[in-house]
Amino acid sequence: MKKRSLDVLLLAVFLLLMPGCGTAGGQAEPTAAAAAEELSGESVPEETAAAVPPSGEPAEASFFRSEPAASQTPAPEPAASPTPPEETALTCSLWIRCDTILDHLDRLTEEKAGLVPESGVLLCLEAVPFDEGESVFDVLLRVTREQEIHLEFVGTPFYRSAYVEGIGNLYEFDCGELSGWSYKVNGAFPGCGCSLYELSGGDIIEWVYTCDLGKDVGGTNGWEDAA
Amino acid sequence: MKTGAFGSCHPAVNFVYFAFVLACTMIILHPVCLGISLLCAAAYAVLLRGKGAVRRSMKYLLPAMLIAALFNPLFNHRGVTTLGYLPGGNPLTLEAVLYGVAASVMLAAALCWFSCCSAVMTSDKLICLFGRAAPGLSLLLSMVLRFVPQFTARLKAISDAQRCMGHDATHGTMLQRAQNGVRMLSILVTWSLEHAVETADSMKSRGYGLPGRTAFSIYRFDRRDGKVLCLILCAGGVILAGAAAGGLAWSYFPSVRFRETDLFSAGILAAYLVLCALPLMLQALEDISWNISH
Repeated sequence: MKKRSLDVLLLAVFLLLMPGCGTAGGQAEPTAAAAAEELSGESVPEETAAAVPPSGEPAEASFFRSEPAASQTPAPEPAASPTPPEETALTCSLWIRCDTILDHLDRLTEEKAGLVPESGVLLCLEAVPFDEGESVFDVLLRVTREQEIHLEFVGTPFYRSAYVEGIGNLYEFDCGELSGWSYKVNGAFPGCGCSLYELSGGDIIEWVYTCDLGKDVGGTNGWEDAA
Repeated sequence: MKTGAFGSCHPAVNFVYFAFVLACTMIILHPVCLGISLLCAAAYAVLLRGKGAVRRSMKYLLPAMLIAALFNPLFNHRGVTTLGYLPGGNPLTLEAVLYGVAASVMLAAALCWFSCCSAVMTSDKLICLFGRAAPGLSLLLSMVLRFVPQFTARLKAISDAQRCMGHDATHGTMLQRAQNGVRMLSILVTWSLEHAVETADSMKSRGYGLPGRTAFSIYRFDRRDGKVLCLILCAGGVILAGAAAGGLAWSYFPSVRFRETDLFSAGILAAYLVLCALPLMLQALEDISWNISH
């Protein structure tokens, strides 16, 4: 009895003193972006549903598939490759916007105020080249590194899933408890995670910061469709 | 155990002091404050427990600090200054590294203060403080706090005696050593159980549990205690009020931002130094007056 209470005391002290590791790994699922995607998944329009790759056909150049990606990069070099050269020059547009924060500056965490640009646009790039089979997440990861924009994500390689926690040091929950990052392709929310959405040429990717579980960025959240 | 000038103060003064200093150490992340706190705690620990004991506890403390400092940037990727990219794909940021260092210093300082606290707040002081308000709890607390030291001391006595008889747990074959170790453990448990029964009998024969008991204590709140308590409360009040007014503002994320050191924040830092160095100053004053009178 005595020993156990001492153990508990020590444990409590240790937990109290543990340095704050600001990870939110365990909370990855129930966040705004994921929830919005999950909920809208109930009423996915056909074209976005069709865009979800079948599980048997993984994205070859995906971030989580380093070996196939490596084997694919030298693939275009032999001229006998079946893909014609004009198809290798696939491009998409990439927007990263957080203009919804401008309407809710009162809710924004104090230290982050300087991070929101006045236009609300963190990045706007036309014609981002990408390889066949790359996902929305692969493009985001590559472009943010090239542009030296901060990006933090939780990756679960086993499920090939990636959850974007923060872009440009603007994190989920920074602007109210319903805030976080979500993405649209060609103006619609695909009902799947960004690392599973395989891009096709000419796609317009928009990363949008929501302060209201997706409602303020055009998401229906699944509920209004049902009503 | 020698508890020094501050340890001879009234238990209430000791208790208030450690509560203040631990709270300040754990709440205020200003690097100067953390440095002051760690240095004063380490110096006080050396004063209380001697260089050898502190050096021994350093063996655990330094690796713990290192791990805390290293692990933070591995799991925390906030911050605007990217130093590189981790294998997982997330950025390694300067702010996370700095925060990890600050957190490890805070960990070390708090552990040092706790070791000082346990050396000064002996069980009779705990009984004196809480004996009247919560007699059961303070008795339990004092028993719990002396449990591990008592066990270690008994184990040492047993192992010394066994070594004299040649039943040493450090020599012989694996099986012999295991046998000797188990025998020592058995003796230890038997001794402790027997002691518990004796304690219970002794307490019962002295009337434990009867109404109208008083708590004995040899502590008296004198003028010096009043002065020291006043100093603690003043310094603590200045620090808390100043910190609430933003005088020690220091944020690590998303970029390191802090208030420039002006007269206001320098005043608070001075109060912090006074608070943390109080036991050392009391000891120095006592040493000086001792040397003068001799």
